[in-house]
Amino acid sequence: MSDSLVPVTVLTGYLGAGKTTLLNRILSENHGRKYAVIINEFGELGVDNDLVVDADEEVFEMNNGCVCCTVRGDLIRILSGLMKRKGGLDGIIIETTGLANPAPVAQTFFVDDGVRARTRLDAIVTVVDAKHLLARLEDSHEAEEQVAFADVIVLNKTDLVTPEELDVVEARIRTINRFARIHRTSRAAVAIDQVLDQGAFDLARVLEREPGFLDSDEHSHSDSIISMSFEVSRPIDPEKFNAWMSTLLAEKGQDMLRTKGILAYANDDRRFAFQAVHMIADGGFIGPWAPDGERKSKLVFIGRNLNRPQLRRGFEACQAGVYQAVAASA
Amino acid sequence: MSQTTERQFLLDSRGTSRELGAFVVGAAFDRTGAVAAFALGDGTVRLTPPHPTMDWPVVEAHDGTVLAIAADARPGFVTGGDDGRFLRIGPDGTVTELARFGSKWVEHVAAFADARSGVLACSVGKSAHLFTVAGQPLKTLTHPSTVTGLALDSKGKRVAASHYNGCSLWFVAAKTDSPRFMEWKGSHTGVVLHPAADAVVTSMQENSLHGWRLADGQHMRMSGYPSKTESMSFTRSGKWLATSGAESIVLWPFFGGGPMGKAPTELAGGDNVTCTRVACHPQHEAVAAGFSDGLVALADIGTGRILPAVPPGHGAVSALAWSADGSRLALGTETGFAALIDFTPR
Ligand SMILES: [Zn+2]
Ligand SMILES: [Zn+2]
Repeated sequence: MSDSLVPVTVLTGYLGAGKTTLLNRILSENHGRKYAVIINEFGELGVDNDLVVDADEEVFEMNNGCVCCTVRGDLIRILSGLMKRKGGLDGIIIETTGLANPAPVAQTFFVDDGVRARTRLDAIVTVVDAKHLLARLEDSHEAEEQVAFADVIVLNKTDLVTPEELDVVEARIRTINRFARIHRTSRAAVAIDQVLDQGAFDLARVLEREPGFLDSDEHSHSDSIISMSFEVSRPIDPEKFNAWMSTLLAEKGQDMLRTKGILAYANDDRRFAFQAVHMIADGGFIGPWAPDGERKSKLVFIGRNLNRPQLRRGFEACQAGVYQAVAASA
Repeated sequence: MSQTTERQFLLDSRGTSRELGAFVVGAAFDRTGAVAAFALGDGTVRLTPPHPTMDWPVVEAHDGTVLAIAADARPGFVTGGDDGRFLRIGPDGTVTELARFGSKWVEHVAAFADARSGVLACSVGKSAHLFTVAGQPLKTLTHPSTVTGLALDSKGKRVAASHYNGCSLWFVAAKTDSPRFMEWKGSHTGVVLHPAADAVVTSMQENSLHGWRLADGQHMRMSGYPSKTESMSFTRSGKWLATSGAESIVLWPFFGGGPMGKAPTELAGGDNVTCTRVACHPQHEAVAAGFSDGLVALADIGTGRILPAVPPGHGAVSALAWSADGSRLALGTETGFAALIDFTPR
């Protein structure tokens, strides 16, 4: 991925979680780097930066008529305008409203060619409040989605809860999203290099930091978000994978918030990286496999109503040379 | 490239050029045709001098980026910027602030004047603001979502604004303000009006155009583009709509019942370059086009003859404008190259 692309960090989090405090912290520590900050005009606090842009959070449906296929129309215009500035930018930080669903922001970076040509989504950073997160998760789908979409979670206000309560909160976060990196802080005091330049959407780094594959069957409400991962060791047949994944995303994409994978294709020495936000997918070859290392294909799902056995069988059937029979009608 | 090839481009024999050092956001000639202006990503506007050998005057216009420029209703220009200001720039470089909109960007501007009347317009967020030629606020037209394009008709009577789910057509002089809402689901990103007010056409996020015949509201859908159309221009006669977004100049016929069911005419272009800007000649059935590799060419629509104006290599063309008499073409690129080409007969 080209270094000339301006990295974009998306900052989400419920009202009062400490999102703007974190933003101002990043900006005050920026060591002379030039950031543009895109805020919504109903933000919690003032933002202290030379270049602040008011956004309207205009979420537009795409023309396929599907409710989950949405983009931020205002972001496309703002990013296009910022790219015309003289001198360039070291980064762009987008702060969303407390109630925002992160999907339209993320999808904007997959869908619009102009945005893709000049910027790259670096990471979604979600700030959560240790004291109130559990209550928020019970009464708000948005709070749950913000945790589910996160690459980095800043677990803030840890000074307001006991260590035991904090462990409960972190365990709850892990049931929704076991792949995000969690930083415990109070007063949003997280180091700038833990938040910016994470490369979380960089296909080459998609699964590098992934923790061990702990498959547990934790209890969850029928419509609550969970995350799961699968691994297969035989090479993947690209045609089978594409056919399976496109059907899966078309049928279940509304429930599938994020899908990421690193695939070992048969007869190819390069790693294939795949990712999708809801139904909108992107993929490409990245660097080669280690010459002597194992070539295991991994796939990660974060979403609602995920059927673990079905997903496992579907992925396993994408392996080259695996026979299968399916029902058919004449 | 050989000497003989270089000489085939008009830039060498009939051009004046400068490296301006910032993204050329737009170009325009003023109403008198005496001055051309280039609006830049560094907030300045560069004017062409009275004599070609002189330096190009630098106008410190906006604190940030100039986002839009148009010929003023008077001699000079109007501009909008990401500093939230709507400015008038005299032919001598004098800057007058017409309005200030705080932290909101002034993304689109337009102006019209004839012997009897005139109007200035700019868009800020969901609103289009109209002003008298003297710069007095006339009215504010409010839309359901952000205005993404603004166009005045050829008589200055109507203003069209594109936005999410369609475009709105307003009468400038109406006593009560209610628009004719042309509805089509989706994200519309720009708008152009037919010179005889036969139709209004918008560009869309999904690499297509949408049109409405104004007589009966008949929809027209023009698709097949490999990328987004950022530039649209009707020929003076209104017979053709020239568009960017493909590897060639794509021209839709607006005669004999309109473009429905017809294939467009494609001119110029080549492989792996995208047409980025089009500007129809103000007198003749010809169109100037700029490409992503920096090539600028003039295409005669009737004969299909191509006149190369600027060779590739100066950055993707981002601005293109004719003087009102069609004698000169101004062009600019994303990397800050700007040029004027003289087409007067010799
Ligand atoms: Zn969808
Ligand atoms: Zn439960």
